[in-house]
This record gives sequence, structure tokens and C-alpha cells, in this order.
Amino acid sequence: MGGPITAFASGLLAQLGNDTTNGLVHESVQLAEGAPGFPLLPALVFTPLLGALLIGLIPGSRAELHRATAIITAVVTGVFSLYLLAIFDTADPGFQFVEATSWVSSLDIKFIVGVDGISLFMVVLTGILFPIALFAAKPEHNEKGYYLWLTVLMAGCMGVFVAMDLFLFFLAFELTLVPLYFLIGKWGHGRRVYAANKFFLYTMGGSALMLVAIVGLATMAGAGDDGGISFDLVKIANDGEISRDVARLLFVGFALAFAVKVPVFPLHTWLPDAHTEAPTAGSVDLAGVLLKLGTYGFIRYGLYLFPEASVWAAPVLLTLGAIGIIYGGVVAAMQKNLKRLVAYSSVAHMGFCVMGIFALNSHGIEGSVLQMINHGIITGALFILLGYLYKRRHTYEIAKLSGIQKVAPVFAGLFTLFMLASIGVPGLAGFVGEFLVLVGVFMAHRWWAVVAAAGVILAALYMLWAYQRVFHGEPDEENKGFGEIKLKEALPLAPLVALVVFLGVYPKPVIDRIQPSVASLIEHVEAQVPGFTEPTSQHGSELLGGDLDEGSGDGVSEDDVAGDDAEGAGAAGGPDDDEPQATLEGVTVTVTGGGS
Amino acid sequence: MLLNQFLLLGAVLFCIGVYGVLVRRNGVMVLMSIELILNAVNINLVAFGTHLQQATGQAFALFVIPIAAAEVAVGLAIVLMIYRNRRSIDVDSLDEMKG
Amino acid sequence: MELFPSDAVFTPDVSWVALWPMVVMALGGLLLLTISSLGKGRIPRPFYALWAVLTSVGSFITAIPLWAQVHGWEDAVLWYDPEVDPTGPFSTVGGVIAADGFSVFLTMLIAVSMVAVVLVIEAYLDREQDRFPEMFALTMFAALGGMVMVSANDLIVLLLGLETLSVAAYVLAAMDLRRVQSQEAGFKYFVLGAFSSAFFLYGIAFIYGATGGTGLVHITDFLAANVLLGSSGLMLLLGLGLLIVGFAFKVALVPFHSWSPDVYDGTPSPLVTFMSSVVKVAAFAGMLRVLVMAFESAGADWRPVIQGLAVLSLVGGALGAIVQSNVKRLLAYSSISHAGFILLGVEAASDVGTAAVVIYLTAYSALVIGSFTVVTLVARSGDRLHTLTDYQGLGRTSPLVAGLFTFFLLAQAGVPFTAGFYAKFSAVIAAVDAGTAWLAAVAMLSAVIAAYLYLRLVVTMWFVDPAAETDTSHVGVPAAAGIALAGCAAAVLWIGIFPNTLTDWAERSVPAVVQPAPPNLVESGDEADADVEFEVGPDGMPGMPGPMPGEMDFGELDLESLGIDPAELEAMLEGGDLGFDVDVEFEDPPG
Repeated sequence: MGGPITAFASGLLAQLGNDTTNGLVHESVQLAEGAPGFPLLPALVFTPLLGALLIGLIPGSRAELHRATAIITAVVTGVFSLYLLAIFDTADPGFQFVEATSWVSSLDIKFIVGVDGISLFMVVLTGILFPIALFAAKPEHNEKGYYLWLTVLMAGCMGVFVAMDLFLFFLAFELTLVPLYFLIGKWGHGRRVYAANKFFLYTMGGSALMLVAIVGLATMAGAGDDGGISFDLVKIANDGEISRDVARLLFVGFALAFAVKVPVFPLHTWLPDAHTEAPTAGSVDLAGVLLKLGTYGFIRYGLYLFPEASVWAAPVLLTLGAIGIIYGGVVAAMQKNLKRLVAYSSVAHMGFCVMGIFALNSHGIEGSVLQMINHGIITGALFILLGYLYKRRHTYEIAKLSGIQKVAPVFAGLFTLFMLASIGVPGLAGFVGEFLVLVGVFMAHRWWAVVAAAGVILAALYMLWAYQRVFHGEPDEENKGFGEIKLKEALPLAPLVALVVFLGVYPKPVIDRIQPSVASLIEHVEAQVPGFTEPTSQHGSELLGGDLDEGSGDGVSEDDVAGDDAEGAGAAGGPDDDEPQATLEGVTVTVTGGGS
Repeated sequence: MLLNQFLLLGAVLFCIGVYGVLVRRNGVMVLMSIELILNAVNINLVAFGTHLQQATGQAFALFVIPIAAAEVAVGLAIVLMIYRNRRSIDVDSLDEMKG
Repeated sequence: MELFPSDAVFTPDVSWVALWPMVVMALGGLLLLTISSLGKGRIPRPFYALWAVLTSVGSFITAIPLWAQVHGWEDAVLWYDPEVDPTGPFSTVGGVIAADGFSVFLTMLIAVSMVAVVLVIEAYLDREQDRFPEMFALTMFAALGGMVMVSANDLIVLLLGLETLSVAAYVLAAMDLRRVQSQEAGFKYFVLGAFSSAFFLYGIAFIYGATGGTGLVHITDFLAANVLLGSSGLMLLLGLGLLIVGFAFKVALVPFHSWSPDVYDGTPSPLVTFMSSVVKVAAFAGMLRVLVMAFESAGADWRPVIQGLAVLSLVGGALGAIVQSNVKRLLAYSSISHAGFILLGVEAASDVGTAAVVIYLTAYSALVIGSFTVVTLVARSGDRLHTLTDYQGLGRTSPLVAGLFTFFLLAQAGVPFTAGFYAKFSAVIAAVDAGTAWLAAVAMLSAVIAAYLYLRLVVTMWFVDPAAETDTSHVGVPAAAGIALAGCAAAVLWIGIFPNTLTDWAERSVPAVVQPAPPNLVESGDEADADVEFEVGPDGMPGMPGPMPGEMDFGELDLESLGIDPAELEAMLEGGDLGFDVDVEFEDPPG
């Protein structure tokens, strides 16, 4: 019996095995019916980590093995995420597939994972974009490190989206910094070191106070056993008791971290640098997934944890979102560098997400989640195309490119498709999210919606102008040799093309799954904040469609909020707008269907 | 008991010692200044011990004396090495490291 | 007539279980010195290294039964028999040595750190073709001092430990005879160390004057029972202030830090691993025990001071590091910033805070030993290459070393799943728990500044091409250093991913206020026939040492074996002119 050694060994055993004594099943969450015995969510996190470990162990000379391992890992994780989507219970608004294991017992830190309708699609987005980014881009040197960091990054992103424990969430949130730092710093272009440092310090600075806020919340909310410390998200959100002023202070701590990550104007300056200098896969994952950590954080750790403070801060964040949209649009229009232009367009698009969340109604939040998905797919695709462009021309300078449509029509066609989706042309993915956000914001604060709508016009302006300069005209000497896109290059884009069209025409399956969770989130906010009722369609229908005023009455009943305003909005958009009917039907059907 | 006078003497010695450490440039003088401070402490300890009518104070002073001796022995050895290396024990000339 | 005849000697109760780790370390060091003097260079150096490692391991092993005794484990561990020995924290040697979770855990930490340090020294000496077995002996003596410090339950013993540690460390700093910087570092370290010891001593003298004792338990009890006003109160505050200044010098807190970059720079690199781990552990342990335990009731007086020092150190350390171009100086400043973080735990003055300090010290030891081991290796023969230029392109020329260094640096920056993160997290918990969330916020923001300096190093290693003057030869890892590095990396990762074990241990490593055991007057086996309790007035009892004024419980005495006639004692008590109160309960009243 070797004293500490025994303790050591038993501690190890307790940590490695499932410590059944410490509450395997999460109290406040019901396990979904027919939950598989296979720990799906932990697998989402640990498969990439396992892949990273394997890559680390394979000697540096076997470059092809590294790539194969990384791709297999990412694809397997992606398949897991799609399987998750398939078996997800659409009607259940709560967390599903919950797994909980004790981690640090004395602080009541647990490894709790679970997904609801909101995080589900973030997980799927991660699962889709990472393999595609891996397929689409190859590093020029040091393959081993590149693939290792990409798989670690995937694990970090998955961790953030499935975490239901504040400690676990913060770890995963911070973990994403390191891989991306190295990806930008080592495999980036131009001023890569500057961009990497800026990225690291900005985001770390943002989340520095979040750690303090998390600890403050865990200790002060008294949600643990006997009013003690607890890091359990659901417990704190439901049982936490914290004074209004403290909650607002803590919310600011969280919000800063998320605002940097999104990024919200004026904390966005790291983004264009990071995007421009990052390697293609880095840009894809950064734009596609990492920015969503911020908006997702706002929903899960802002709105859900601090309902009162969110309502209190909503006007500020709405304003900043609106400024971001306009600012991003204007600055994007002035860019000479094509990649930087797309980066600034991200600032604008993420501004929509923030506005949607802080419209604090179901349309806004659903639209925001949709916008996150769409932006991930569209911007990811655009960055992949830009990567191909860079491979051929070794420049992103708009002035040096011209007439590419003539020499590479398919490439130009693909670019056009994603560009139009990015602008928000109806029938393509970008439209649905932005439209729902605008409807939501309009119901809550109509003038902000007007400002945001101007952003849509700006998007059309800078995108089309850039397209015109790069793709139209006659190719000069240097651009004559621009090679057409190869089948090998186009294949990774195929799923994205399909998704952009599918989500643009028929987003109902997605919205069906988001809606219950969003509705329950809104209920949670209404229950926790005295005097707050969801800003619903009463204003919207007055303005948009006074004749269809189902929701315009004062007495919107509490229990039927989602249904009422959904119909109001769907119908409201109908007759007065000039948008193509097909798309509108898509939205209307979806929203009405989900609200019943 | 004239406790205050002893404490005052200790304080004066302490201040002289601190002044010496901060101002003197000769390494040996610095060592002597440190000795002064330690002796100031001893005076205090013995004075307190007598005042409290305990042996602890004096016993403590007996501990301090060998400690001071050990410190100075090491200090002198280092000063000697420096002198051998550069033929000077001027403290200000110790400026190999900057930053 | 005398109450106690001259042949009744007060011998403090000595529990050897509590002293074994120190005894092993002391004997190991002394024997090593003896052997090396007798051997006159005929014994190969690795023998000494092995000797030092075995001594440290022995010290660790002897601490295990002590841990068992303190925590009252059910089953016997090694030679500890629960039937005989008591369990729970206790003090021994007349109450000046404490054996509680805190002392035992940190003793173990010092012993484990010593193993790594010795291995690094061995790798260094091997490269430099030096024999110097004294280096091992001196580190062992210094570690002994550290162990005494973490167990000290009396300011005198604390001072003895501190001096044992410091005097050895002064010599270590000046150990490299070929580099002038080393002697310069030694001299600076010596002057400021002795200076701070003097402050420390002066502070102890005042505290002694104000409270009438040097035992930490005595001070605790005294402060709990008395409110010090006027000159006594002033003396106490003055003493406390000087004590804090002394500690602040030792652990290099801003504004008492100016020596540390120079000393780190000049000291032979492997010995910096020792200075930044064991010395800091011991100094922080002493600081924590004195402030949090003895001066708990004066918290309102010292907590703001510590908070101020914490803010200055956090920000000053991080900002100071940014302008450095020498890696050792840079890490010296970063350790100042870390010291600021540790102060968060001290400042909290709570069990949570103590646990945070223990966790931070453990994590930090692994981190700095690892970091400075890399520095030692990269410095190449002669211990000279320490500038950022020398690290350029290290990622390409020596990816393993650069990778490990990057890992340690990122861990110091507080990246998740490393010990560095968990340590910072614990410190933040302690600060928030103590109601000083603002301090935690300052600490985290300064950590971002500090992150920049770690990134600078990372960038230099991985993203910058070697300059013309950079030594691009491959940095080899000798086996000894490799073991130390692997151990540190494993510890950092382990604590980062599974912090549960360390947290459990840290929570049990809380210093306890333990009453001194009564003088060993009862021979075991004798029948006790009187229960004697003295109550001594403010003037003390003439001719008697010990914690006075106050109460003194002699417990059960066997009067016959002491040569005291119960009837005579009874008569004395009846007389009532002893100058103090004695309360005697006779089992079998005489007469």
C-alpha cells in the first residue's frame, strides 16, 4: 500500500472510467428517448483529438499518412455529426444526448455535453466544413504540424458547441486559439506573424475577463449542492440566484469575449488581418466555424445565462450590430484585396447575427442561427475559391485580376453562385437568415431594421463591383493563363453548392429543429425577466401587412407566442413584397409549420 | 526599564546599515553595513527579552550571531572571487548585465 | 525550595516521523560532501548525481508516512503504525516544527523538484566537463532549508530555514568561476538576500516585542485574545510590514524585484531551475503560514498591502518582460508576474486561497524547471547563448526542444489543458471567493500582456529564420535532462487534463494551528497522579522558558518520578506566594 501512489492510481481510475457515484445522468436534463448507447457527443470531441495524437506519432517523413489521417478523422467526425442530425429528436426543445462525468469533484466541475436545436447545427457545420477545408487545401510545407493543428482546432470547436459546463466551455473556447495561432503564423501569407499575434492577443484579451466572470458566476450563483460552487450551465441558468447588478457586470465579462470573437464593431480589427494572412483552410474554418463561437456564445452564455442583463444590454448590441453591418459594407467596398473584402463582408454578415439575437424574439434568433449556418457555408466556399485563385495567380489584388470569366467560366460561375448567396439573393441560402433577422429586428426596433436593410444593398454593391472588376472585361497577359477549375478542386465544393441551394429553397427542416429550442429559450427569458415579453409582430404587422393582423392585437397569449407571431410574420411578408414567391413560400410554410 | 532607548539605538543602527548598503560602493563596506543591521536586530531582541523577562530574546540573538557570521563568510568569499577576477571590489563596476 | 528539581529537564517531545525528510536530506548532503572530500576526484561525477537523486527520493519516501499520519489513513504505510502514532496535524520539537498537510505536501514537492533539478545539473556538468560535486551538496542543503521553512511553526525556525536556504543559494549563484556574470549575480543575490533577511529579522524582533513570543501558535492566540493599541500595535504593524518586505525581496515582488533578472541572468542556468522552483516554494510557504495563519486576525492590515504588491507584480512583471531580449531575463520577469498570481491565493487568506497557492506552486515548479532546462540546453557549451537571436529558427533545427519549450511557454501563458491554466484558474477562484474579483480581473488582463512575451519567444523559434550569428547546430537532449523534461511535461499535461488529484491533495494541504505538545514529563508506563496547569501572569514566570505569558498545561504528571513530594507541593500551593497561579488536581490527594 503505497500511500499517495494508491491515491494517485485510484484517482486515475476514477477519472478514466465513468465515475458513476458522481451523478452520471444530469439532473435537470432528461435523456432523450432512444439515446444511443454509443457516446456520440464525446466521440465528436475525442475523435479529432485521437486523430491529432496519431498524426503527432506518425514520423514527419510520411506526409501522405498525415493527410490521410487528418481527412479520415475529420470525415469520421463529420459522419458522426450527420448521424447526430439524423437521430436528433425534432420536437424536443431541451438538451439531448446528454453525457455527464465528474471531472474535478471538489469544484463540482463535470464533463457535461449535450446538444439542442441551436448547437446541433453548429456541430453539423463544424462536421461539414472541416473535412471540406482539408480536401480543398494543402499546405505548402510542414504537413505534419498543419494537419495536427487543424484536427485539434476541430476538437476545440466541437467542444465549445457541445459543452454544458462553464469550465469545459471555457477550456474549449480558449483551446481554439492555439491551433489557429500556429496555422496563421506558420502557414499564412504576408504579415502572418503580425496577424497571428494580433488574433491571439485580441481573443485572449477578450476572454481573460470571461474566466473571472465564469468563476464569479459559479461561486456566486450558488447553484451547486447546498448553495455551493457549480459550473453546470443548466443548473446555474435555472437555479442560480444572483443580484441584478452583479449579473449585468458578469454579462459584460462574457459579452466582451464573444464580441471579440464575433467580431462586433469596434473590436473587429483582428479579423481582416487574420483572414487575409491565414492559409485557405484556416480562413475557411475561421470564417465558417470560429466566428460562430461568438454568436453561439451570445445565445447560450449570454441570453440563456443572463436574461435580464441581455435585455438590458440589447440596445447597445443591436446598435453595434447595425454599425457593424454598415461599416463592414462600406469598408469592404473600399478594399483592394479580394480576401480582405470577403473578410470585411464577414463583419457585416456577423452583424446580422448579433442583431438577430438581440432582437430577442424567435424570428430574430432563428434567423440568426440560420445566418450563422449560411454564412459558414457561403464564406467558407468563397475562401476556398479564393484559395484556388491564389494558387493560380499568387495575389489577391483586385487590380491585378481581370477577365477571368473568359478563361475560367466554371470557376466564375461557382464564384457567382456563392457571391449571390452572400449578397442575399432569394432562392439561395443567404437570403433566408437575413430576411428572418430583418423581420425579427423590425418587430422589436424597426429603425434598426431599416439601417440593417441598407446593409443588404451595400453587400450587393461591393460584391458585384468586385466581381465586375475581377471577372469581367478582357483578360490581360497575366490572367490569360488562368487555369479552369479542376474536377478535383470542384468536388469539395459540391456539397456546399447543394447546401446553398437547398437551404435557400427549403430551409424548413433546419428551422423545424431550431424552433423548439429557440421558443423554449424565449420562454426562459420571459420567465426570468419580470415585465419582459417577446417583442412580437404587433409592430411588424402594422407596417408590413396591416390587413393580416392576426398578431397585431395587444393580447398575444403567452403560450402561443411562437405560433402567433410566426404566422404574422410569414403572412406579413407575403403580399406587399416583391420577392419571388417560391422563396417566400419556403419561409412561410416553414415558420407556420413549426409554430403550431 | 529603558526599553525605548534600546529600541532607538537599534533603529539608528538599522538606518545606518540600510544607508550603508544603499550608498557605499565598496563591497566590504556593504557587508559591514549588513552586519550593522543584524546587530541592530540583536539589540532589539535582547532589549525585548529583558523587558518581557524571557530568555527567548537572548536565545534568538544567539541564533542570529552565527547566521550573521555564515552570511558574511559567504559574502566575503564572493567579494574575494570578484576581486580576483577584476582587481576591484567597487560595487558600481558590477554592470555586466543589463536589460 | 525548587518546584522542579534540577534533574527534571524539559525535553521537547520529538516526533521523528516529522523530521525524517529533513534528516535524510541533511545527512545525504553532509555525506556527499564528506565522500567527495575523501574521494578527491577519484569518484566519477554521475555517482554524486545518483546520490543526490536517491537522497531526494529518500526524502520523498520518508514524507509519505508523515502524510499518512497527518491525514489519518486507516492502513499502515511503510513503518507508520496507526495503533501507536496519533493522527491529524501535530507539532513537534516543542511546537516549532509543524506537521500538517501543507508542510508535508510542500516537502514532497521540494523533494520531487530536487530530483529534476539534480538531473538538470548533472546534464549541465557533463556538458561543461566540470566536477563540482559541491553543486549537488549545496542544492541539497538549500532544499533542506526549504523543507524547514515549509514546516516552520516558529519565526526563529523559519529564519533558520530561510538562512540555510539562502546562504547555499548565494554560493550556487556565484558557482560558475569562469563567467564574471555569475559572481556578479552571486554578489547581487547575496547583498539583496542578506538585506532582505535583515529586514525580515528586524520585523521578527518587533513582532516578538509586541506579542511576547515567536511561535506562530502563540502569535495567533495572542492576537485573538488581545487587541493591540498604541505603541504595541504600532510595533506589531511595523514588524509585520518589515516581514512582508523581507518576503517580498525573497520572492521578487515589484518593487523589490530588481535583483531577480540580473541574478537569473548571471546564475548558471541549471541552478535557475532550483532558484525559481524550490526557493519560491519555500518562501511562499513561509509567507503564507505567517500571514494567513499567524496574522489571520490582522488580515485587514496586511491584505491591502499584498493586494497592492500583487497588482504591481502582475503588471510590472508582464510589462518589464516585453522589452527584454535575453531569454533568461524575460523568464525572470515572467516569474515575477507569476508571483503576482500566487499572491492572489495568499491575499484571499482562506482555505481556498491556500489550496490555490499549493496548486500554483506545484504547477509553476513543473513549468519553470521545464523552461529553464530548455534554456540550459539551448545555451550550449559555456552557458552563453541566451538572447532571442539564439532562439531563432530553433523550431527547424531542434524541433523536439523547441516543441517542449513552446509547450511550457504556452502553459505559462495559461493555455487550456495545461497546468498553467489550472493554476491561474485556481488563483482566480481564490480571489473571487475572497471577494476581490477586481484583483482577479487585473491578473487575467496582465496575463494577456504576459502572453505576448511568450508569443514573442514562440514566434522567434518557429516563424523567424535563423540570423547569421545564430548557432544552428542541433540541440541534443542528454538522458538526464531528457528525464527531467519528460517528467515536467507529463506533470504539466497531467495537471491540466486531470486536475482532480492535485486539487484533492491541495485541499488537504492547509496549514493548521496546532498546539505545542506538552513537555515530555511523563515516562510512558508511569502512573500519572496529578493534573497540573499553570496560569502565568503578564510578568511571566521567572526562570522558565516557553510560551509565556499565558497558560501552560502540563497535563498529567507523575510526581513521584519527578522527585516531587506531593505533600510538599500541596504545602507550597497552600502558601500561595509563588507569583503565579498553579492549578493542580490530585488524583489521590495527599494527607
